[in-house]
Amino acid sequence: MALNIEEVRKIAALARLRFQPEEEAVFVAQLGKIVDYIDQLQRYETGMEEDTAQGAFEAEDRAHAYLPREQFLANAPAALDGFLLVPEVKGSDD
Amino acid sequence: MTELWELSAEETARRVRSREVSAVDVVESALARTARVEPLIHAWLELFEDEARERAAEIDRNPIGPLAGVTVALKDNMNVAGWPLTCASKILSGYVAPYTATAVRRLIDAGAVILGRANMDEFAMGSSCENSAYQVTRNPWDLGTVPGGSSGGPAAAVAAGSAALGIGSDTGGSVRQPAALCGLVGVKPTWGRVSRYGLVAFASSTDQIGPLARDVRDAALATGILAGPDPNDSTCSTRPAEDYLARIEDGIEGLRVGVIQEIDASTFDPASGRVWREALERLQAAGAELVEVSVPSLDAAIAVYYVIAMSEASANLARFDGVRYGRRAEKADNLLDLYLASRSEGFGPEVKRRIMLGTFALSSGYYQAYYGKARGVLERMRQELHAALEKADVVATPTAPGAAFGIGEKTDDPLAMYLSDIFTTPASLTGLPAVSVPSGLDDRGLPLSLQLMGRPFEEATVFRAARAFEFQGSFRLAPTFREAG
Repeated sequence: MALNIEEVRKIAALARLRFQPEEEAVFVAQLGKIVDYIDQLQRYETGMEEDTAQGAFEAEDRAHAYLPREQFLANAPAALDGFLLVPEVKGSDD
Repeated sequence: MTELWELSAEETARRVRSREVSAVDVVESALARTARVEPLIHAWLELFEDEARERAAEIDRNPIGPLAGVTVALKDNMNVAGWPLTCASKILSGYVAPYTATAVRRLIDAGAVILGRANMDEFAMGSSCENSAYQVTRNPWDLGTVPGGSSGGPAAAVAAGSAALGIGSDTGGSVRQPAALCGLVGVKPTWGRVSRYGLVAFASSTDQIGPLARDVRDAALATGILAGPDPNDSTCSTRPAEDYLARIEDGIEGLRVGVIQEIDASTFDPASGRVWREALERLQAAGAELVEVSVPSLDAAIAVYYVIAMSEASANLARFDGVRYGRRAEKADNLLDLYLASRSEGFGPEVKRRIMLGTFALSSGYYQAYYGKARGVLERMRQELHAALEKADVVATPTAPGAAFGIGEKTDDPLAMYLSDIFTTPASLTGLPAVSVPSGLDDRGLPLSLQLMGRPFEEATVFRAARAFEFQGSFRLAPTFREAG
């Protein structure tokens, strides 16, 4: 299927990405070509297979003590009193 | 006289342990070599020379590990406490690792000396190392060509003699393909064989850490050290690690090597076709029995891989938002704006392309047609490969469709770049262990490689076959590039 510019904009919004108009045009062409290629999957009949996805957890997933919070917050662009600091949420359109 | 940087990892560690040479001298030799070759290949993002010297001195006081004094080029997507980690992306500039990845910890405990952070495609997304936000790494065999990717930095460093071992991550071929293009041995262990704790996630269901080495024995030695259970990664197998060198010289008399009938060598370029046919003859000459196997879904591997890997990447990379770590956009009026600006400024074009594709494949209305369909075809591929590995002990393919390509040759055509991974993605998708081993040279003198895939957790068999093949071919990979500098 071909992707149009509205679809690319919608995907960009979902992906939390923003593009300049000239970038958009390049993406429409490139993504369209890749999606066309991926469309070959539609030739394969599927549905009967049991999904034995990888990711079987072998070890117990148990919570344990970890590095101190300060060590992680040291990498945050902005933090205050043990919390991450962000601009106001108000004004966001979702 | 052989310089210390030319020695294999195994021989280096043996000499350091027996005090024939000091780890300090080994490290000085590697650093001197690096000073000569690095201006030509640009393999490293950052070297920690003083730290390496101190570490070497420490090893000399008690030289006992299986990798005592062995120099390592580490792909810049694994955490080393106190070191920066960028994934070759601007979005992680300023990040300092708060802890050390399990795989890295195992190397250090074995006596390895990690020289620094090596270049890669941004977030391990690419097959040429040209997607790094920082520099383009060059292939030591021909400086006009790419080293492959995404672990192109470690590959170029090891091929040029700048380090004895490279440690990369392989999601769809990112260790095996650069190993092939740089004339090295590359390993993608069984999914779950090596802990992913401390590896920055790209596609969690296929990511595996693996070594790049100058010969099969070194690759087997390093894999044995990386492997093993880890309480910090519950998807890591609880099976104990194995000594992959124990039976590596046993030969392949009677071993059944599967050849996929759907691979049409007449579509290869003439040199790749010739080297592929010769490789099969060499396996036979070494005592293997060739058996025909069928994997009809091989054709769909790239499409399946890109849907699944990009879907997982779009979810995994959601965490880079300018809030928790890395780079934050300077101008943002509100939280949504902060996300949009930080991510759009921080990610490069290929990463954006993949996040977009993954978001598309998972989005409402398309999920079943793309992600669901890809999972169905993947399941079929898994069944086909498992059936093939009942008829055969290992399955052989070329590692890549051709030798190293020119810098800039494929950057404008992402799909052409993706097709470099046609032979490596099946083992990634199905979790099978696979080893890439050099098989010959093309008409320009650039290396080509054979890939051997095995049954889950049967790395030992794959190494044994790769070793017999390597020995049979006497295609010894001494570091070329001697005239450099």
